[in-house]
Amino acid sequence: MTDSFPILLLVMAAAAYFCRAAGFTLMRLVPVTPRLEAALRATPLAVMAGIAALALQQGGLAEALALAAVVALTRVIGSDVAAALIGVAVAAVLRWAGL
Amino acid sequence: MRDGVPLGLSIFAYGLGFGLVAAQAGFGVVKAVATSAAIYSGSAQLAAVNLLQSGTATLWALFATILVINARYILFGAALQPWLWQAGAARAYGSLLLLGDANWMFTMRAIRAGEADRAYLPGTGVPMMAAWLAGTALGAGAVSILPEPQALGFDLMLAAFATAMTAAMVKVRGDLVPVAVGAGAALAIAPLAGPGLAIIGAGLAGGVVAALMHRGQP
Repeated sequence: MTDSFPILLLVMAAAAYFCRAAGFTLMRLVPVTPRLEAALRATPLAVMAGIAALALQQGGLAEALALAAVVALTRVIGSDVAAALIGVAVAAVLRWAGL
Repeated sequence: MRDGVPLGLSIFAYGLGFGLVAAQAGFGVVKAVATSAAIYSGSAQLAAVNLLQSGTATLWALFATILVINARYILFGAALQPWLWQAGAARAYGSLLLLGDANWMFTMRAIRAGEADRAYLPGTGVPMMAAWLAGTALGAGAVSILPEPQALGFDLMLAAFATAMTAAMVKVRGDLVPVAVGAGAALAIAPLAGPGLAIIGAGLAGGVVAALMHRGQP
């Protein structure tokens, strides 16, 4: 292992950018059929649901209530950004209250 | 840019968290900020700092660790490609430097809503990157006087955004299929392979199911 920080930095940057560019590059070589497009359209929903599900599983009651509030607020006020920020505040308050 | 500002707030707090960890691992402010700029991914940076701290890591191990933790970006980049390539190669690859979890979600939502401006990805990415670096610098520089980001609920920020945007993007009953598949896959994979691979598995499972269910409608 080298002690040279610039070399470490270069290796880390290369790995990180490789991941960002690889999927994009691969897709340039593949024809985008309607079926593939349907798959790509479904991907963000599946990823986000996965993130939320893991947070629920790891969290306790405070996290579950906060995320439930986020769903309700998104539907009621129609702004997902505002709902998410309020949800985080809800989580902070519930934790502060010892939940 | 405007959509990126609330994201920047959460990233700032996350950056603080990384700065604190990096400072405890003996990174100065300059090293911590350089790491944040080079990797720009909280989970990968925390793993990298852990590995460097152990003192036994090789360069390959470092490379592989970041590759595995950031493998989800391969999927994110693939999902963006049909839309992003129209910006031209140089701009597209430049934009990918600023690809993060949160602005990927935002960009995918914007694409669904018919966004035509390919600068949307870097536009939301710039405030996030700036906040990430500022948070790292402050965290590494002021390690002893800050409150725990957890007390403010910031660790839940990404999950909160994911939940809100899922709720906003589900328009018809069919949209619930990838939601259920993604959540189920993540919960099934996480105990076996960890949360990083669980997220990739969720995305792949959702995509495969959507492809199988596709019946030729546009």
